[in-house]
Amino acid sequence: MVEKNTEQAIEENFDAVIVGAGNGGLIAAAQMALKGAKIVLCEQHNLPGGFATSFVRGRFEFEAALHELCDFGPTTNKGAIRKLFEDDMGLNLDFVEIHEAFRLIINDPNDRLDVVVPFGKEEFIDMMESQVPGSKDSIRNYIRLGEEITEAISYITESEGNPEKDVLISNYKNFLKTAPYTLDQVNNALKIPKKAQDILDAYWCYIGIPTSRINFTFYAAMHYYFLIRNAFIPKYRSHGYTAALESMIRENGGKILYNTKVSKIFSENGHVIGVETTQGDTIKANHIISNASPTLVYNNLIFPKSEVPKRALKNINARRHAISCFVVYLGLNASAEELGIENYSYHIYDSVNSEEIYESFKTLNPPKAQATICLNNVLPDCSPPDTCILTITAFFLPEAWKDVAPEDYFNLKNKIARHLINTFEFATKTSIRDHIEEIEIATPQTLARYTGTFGGSAYGYETDPWDSFMPRLMELDNERYIKGLEFCGGFSANCQSYTNALLSGQIAAFLTLQGLKKMGDSE
Amino acid sequence: MKEEKEKSLKVSVKGNIRDLLAFKNLTSERKKYIDEAPETFKQSDSVNILAKLLHPSIQNLIINGVKEETKSSKTFRLIPDPDSNTEKLAYFRAGQFLSLKVNVDGTPITRPYSISSSPSDALRGFYEITIRKEDHGFLTEYIWKNWKKNTKVKSSGPSGYFYYDPIRDSKEIIGIAGGSGITPFRSMVKEIMEGRLNVNLTLLYGSSEEDDILFYEEFKEFEKRNPNKFKIVHVLSCEEVNLDGCEQGFITAEIIEKYCDFSNSSVFICGPQMMYDFIDKELNKFSLPKNRIRKEVFGEIKNVVSFANYPKEIAEKSFQIKVRIGNLSKEIPAKANESVLVAMERAKLSPPSVCRSGICGFCRSKLISGDILVYLKNDGRRAADKILKYFHPCSSYPLSNLEIEVPRS
Repeated sequence: MVEKNTEQAIEENFDAVIVGAGNGGLIAAAQMALKGAKIVLCEQHNLPGGFATSFVRGRFEFEAALHELCDFGPTTNKGAIRKLFEDDMGLNLDFVEIHEAFRLIINDPNDRLDVVVPFGKEEFIDMMESQVPGSKDSIRNYIRLGEEITEAISYITESEGNPEKDVLISNYKNFLKTAPYTLDQVNNALKIPKKAQDILDAYWCYIGIPTSRINFTFYAAMHYYFLIRNAFIPKYRSHGYTAALESMIRENGGKILYNTKVSKIFSENGHVIGVETTQGDTIKANHIISNASPTLVYNNLIFPKSEVPKRALKNINARRHAISCFVVYLGLNASAEELGIENYSYHIYDSVNSEEIYESFKTLNPPKAQATICLNNVLPDCSPPDTCILTITAFFLPEAWKDVAPEDYFNLKNKIARHLINTFEFATKTSIRDHIEEIEIATPQTLARYTGTFGGSAYGYETDPWDSFMPRLMELDNERYIKGLEFCGGFSANCQSYTNALLSGQIAAFLTLQGLKKMGDSE
Repeated sequence: MKEEKEKSLKVSVKGNIRDLLAFKNLTSERKKYIDEAPETFKQSDSVNILAKLLHPSIQNLIINGVKEETKSSKTFRLIPDPDSNTEKLAYFRAGQFLSLKVNVDGTPITRPYSISSSPSDALRGFYEITIRKEDHGFLTEYIWKNWKKNTKVKSSGPSGYFYYDPIRDSKEIIGIAGGSGITPFRSMVKEIMEGRLNVNLTLLYGSSEEDDILFYEEFKEFEKRNPNKFKIVHVLSCEEVNLDGCEQGFITAEIIEKYCDFSNSSVFICGPQMMYDFIDKELNKFSLPKNRIRKEVFGEIKNVVSFANYPKEIAEKSFQIKVRIGNLSKEIPAKANESVLVAMERAKLSPPSVCRSGICGFCRSKLISGDILVYLKNDGRRAADKILKYFHPCSSYPLSNLEIEVPRS
């Protein structure tokens, strides 16, 4: 950050530039490098991972973002992500299985609930039946529908986005008929009792919009994978696998540039031709994979601005940026057992009404929802003996923070964090406040600082039925507004979540490799 | 029976035909939303704007005044330099530091200095840093020669974790400062006096002699103004002590006990490397829980050779480091008793760094080959990085020739 060192600047041609080393960008870069493409990965921060990272305070290494990884699966029942890491990337990584989904606690005295939600189809059905007698058959149908949806998605993926209409209609009719609807609409059609829906819907905060707007397909697919493959987390936090991908990209000849923000993406006659960076690099490339969102790319990066198609601006303005997170990271100087923290994951809501809670995300009032993780209950050795790590996550829409002045920021953080700690203690009947050895609080500003996402959004664009992955996929070709430019990550067609962001990187790499091959053929 | 039931699953939300039609219409529905949206560029969002105000990657500052504090210490007042695009100073928490980025006769280096002024002062438009001149100090000699009013200085945003946290810490604070380790406490005391930091602070301040005490009159005045909130005890290590009400010797358990009540206090410690080793032993006598003790990082290890398990036979050696940074590959010399970061700075490579204590990870780099030594006390590496051979050059010492890949700053 002293004068730019011109000796160190890069002026070179590459097959492709990958913008951003988040989950999507890392996989895209790794996949491209594996196939022998000459690539450079530019990351504005000094670490790989984006949200998928960790940080050290004192004796503790905190997981920054991940709660549970979906569709990983044990070695005997490999999910897409295990296949991606092990079979496609050739990585042998330490992941640990989580044995129960979460403990759901509703604090509303009228709907008071405290139930451990299990993985496993039958276990889930049994739990639902015991909580809501008579719900069994409807829940079984919900799971059956989830199964059909995941099979349909596999079929569509295998057909490389060109499924046979007849096959869809004959084999996946229920998938087609529910894809346009919301979680509430389909659950009602399945005649799932209201109280059972309250439990079934409890993942909604991981999607970030109320159940009246969540696309059913998106929710049911995720839930089904959780039921059949449980959830996993990396042993050495998210940084464990993102650093492994980083090493693997280098070993395969890929170049990684940290502290290097792409400041311009050059476009000419509707085709990308290269980038310029804040380090003074000028890189020529006919292919760019952006882990940065379409919002950032079309708003800020494409140069000259006359190359930004009007339709692209309409596209990004039509979509809504999803919620950001507020996370309280606590390193406690007593073990989870000693403190009476029994579960790995807690979903604690003030109410079963997701619309009411979502509305509260727009204000700086005390959060009405939290998703809390005690890492030691899955990774006992993740912190020194007689300590544990607890992270409490709440949610805000960016607009809630728009009038906060710097001098009020720290007090505001503390006020919200205190409320979240109190709520956790109240809901779980534990006492943690006297055991805090390390505390760090991340806000939407922190997320923006490290990832640069618009509004600090952590969940990409909101996934209403019109902007869920089916319509995004169906319109993918029409929405590639500039040639040679693909998107990956949580803002891409694959939608948000670690799992989807990782898989999106592979899709973007394949599309880019196809493009490279075509160019090679034509030369 | 079950099989048959499963096969017969027929879901209908709004009716068979309408559902299929709705699927078919998904794309036209989507197009409609896009059609209706404006084709304007978005303004940058308030979250990112506040993030940049709080955490600027660089602050361009100008020296607005220099004050001689003692025969070897000066306070520099820094104000923003709007001509270089710094309109406002980043707000901070009392106790945090700035990483100054100085070009010393063509050699770009960084140095962390605690902000000695208060957060309220930052809102008024200035920071102060108080620097003690070191004998043969590469940077401080340059500063003494060159820093005057109107000199331009570059700095990071405020960094570091040495601040009072109302959720974690007790309101009763015991501050233990040694030498220029007093500077973050001055920030805290000023903030207490402003009524913006609600703690009661008893400060034990160790100096080698009377002439070395920083902010003596100022602290005395603060103590008089609000004796319930702030109390200071000077501890002088020199033989002869003439100052009223001060202690002679080092800050021992006995002295701490004499002035402070441990039962419900948080202890904040900032001072030179040697003081930590001493204080650690003294505090052990009270067996305080770890969450009652906060320590500022002490910067680079000064005398790595004197550490117990340092391989003395290589102390005088010099190694070669093959550095890849951006487009540049360069082989540079490195002394065994200096950090890899210093070797790169001597070679004018402008590597990234902030805390210089192994903690912040800003200098994180890849060790491609060779061996390094990292001391436990300032090993802030992530678990996976230790396994995958990433390291923090600011706290790592070469044990052989190395090959490394370093990000540009």
